[in-house]
Amino acid sequence: MPSHKVFPAAIGAIVASVDDSLNNWFAREILVHEGALMRYLLRSWFHRDEIHDLRQEIYVRVYEAAAKARPAQPKSFMFTTARHLMTDRLRRSRVVSIDAVGDLDALNVLIDELSPEHRMSARQELRHLASAFDRLPDRCREVVWLRRVEELSQKQVAARMGISEKTVEKQIAKGSRLIAEYFYGGTPMHRARRDRIMEANDGNGHGQQQGD
Amino acid sequence: MTGTDMASSREIEQVAAAWLARRDAGGWSARDQQQLDAWLDEAVAHQVAFLRLDAAWRQSGRLQALGAGMVPGVVPARGSWAHASHGEDETPARTRDRAEPERGSRAGSHRWLRLFAAAATLALVVSLALGWRHYTAVDQASYRTAIGGLQEVPLADGSTVTLSSDSRMLVTLSHGERHIDLQRGEAFFAVAKDHARPFVVSTGSRRVIAVGTRFAVRRDAADLRVVVTQGLVRLESDNRSDGERQPTTLLPAGSIATASDAGVVVRSGPVQQAEEYLSWRSGFVSFHDTPLATAAAEFNRYNTRKIVIGDASVGAMRVGGNFRWSNTDAFVRLLAQGFPIRTQQQGDIIVLRHR
Repeated sequence: MPSHKVFPAAIGAIVASVDDSLNNWFAREILVHEGALMRYLLRSWFHRDEIHDLRQEIYVRVYEAAAKARPAQPKSFMFTTARHLMTDRLRRSRVVSIDAVGDLDALNVLIDELSPEHRMSARQELRHLASAFDRLPDRCREVVWLRRVEELSQKQVAARMGISEKTVEKQIAKGSRLIAEYFYGGTPMHRARRDRIMEANDGNGHGQQQGD
Repeated sequence: MTGTDMASSREIEQVAAAWLARRDAGGWSARDQQQLDAWLDEAVAHQVAFLRLDAAWRQSGRLQALGAGMVPGVVPARGSWAHASHGEDETPARTRDRAEPERGSRAGSHRWLRLFAAAATLALVVSLALGWRHYTAVDQASYRTAIGGLQEVPLADGSTVTLSSDSRMLVTLSHGERHIDLQRGEAFFAVAKDHARPFVVSTGSRRVIAVGTRFAVRRDAADLRVVVTQGLVRLESDNRSDGERQPTTLLPAGSIATASDAGVVVRSGPVQQAEEYLSWRSGFVSFHDTPLATAAAEFNRYNTRKIVIGDASVGAMRVGGNFRWSNTDAFVRLLAQGFPIRTQQQGDIIVLRHR
């Protein structure tokens, strides 16, 4: 029955047309919370060297789930996924060291992280981007500027800086990783957020009062 | 705890970054794309790692907003813009926009503060002049036309938009980008040059990007048509839901591109020919050996009285010429005279049948 073979392809096409691209959704609803996720992981997971892997696995799970159905509350869904994943990992590990992980029930997410996100304005985003850019190492920073702002080709960048094209390509690769790390990850969004987090940490458990 | 046979997340990220940089290098071939696709298909972890870097890399293009007015070839020192954000985050944007110009002299060396402030003030003044609603950090305004309506919209950046019949758009002007969300219908754009702020017209999952050029974008259900009469524009589509990357298409003047689920078809010809697709701006529709079904649909875009094709044979007849789109009657009369067609008025519709 040839029609059976045609059918799934047709379905795929329909889904694609209705879909506001999964990747866009992921960048818009999930990646923007990477900073909060990283702080949560750093607080909850003892093995720092595993956090990069944890983050990837959380993203994979969220992405796979969202491919089937988009969660209504993407941010809480991501944190729930993170908590489940850490719980799973603890259960699977042969030797559970209490010291290593602490109390699983304590893996509760601070209210700050589940409160409705204060979306950054375009200008705040730009500043955040500028500060991420400023954290790049010198040469990498120069390559990224020439390529992205002045829109020189990699070849032109190489000629301008007197370095090989291969080096430019390597610096671009490095730049993309670091900008992702700084823009989505670690850096506090801005002072207001940072202050709230500090208060929440100080208050330890009284964070509930601070939602705004 | 992760399987030892699997690459670590850091390794995956390195590979994803290498792909991104290679794609960025130019000379990217269909074969390269296939290889990248194959790598992405290997694991969701690969897709996620690549999409994350790709999203961040796209974001970095917005640094162009900081490059406005800079001397080309000189990379600004670190922190050139850090002062601008100092201690201001809690200030509501509206008051900040008004307050900054006065504080500018006090800020003295804070060049970036002044730059931000100047841009914000300019946008504010112009938007007030046009009676736009002012949101936090960007100017946003929505426009719509009724059937048969045609509206010329001057934008704050010096560009002009001609909004066609039965169309709707949301205009957002920010520091990094001039963004038009064409929600319905068709519009023609005469874009003022501003390298720091790309001019982006989005229609659902597709984007048409220009810096200084003239082009029209038309939206029909899931399809998109782009007509370029000057300069160069870039047509981008989002990745499909299955992660498959859609190609980016560069459209020089004279291009007529149609994008649908099936892909993008580009017809290139003389600019005059492309211009004919834009004659609606002066109140005309042009046909060249066009099936009557298509011509009728074109008329129907501009009129509440609709032409309905009663027989398939009528729809297949070919018509040509320039017609005033507001005058359906004249068009229908000409059809009845020149073709074996009989017309029948039924309230708000005109049915065409074979005679």
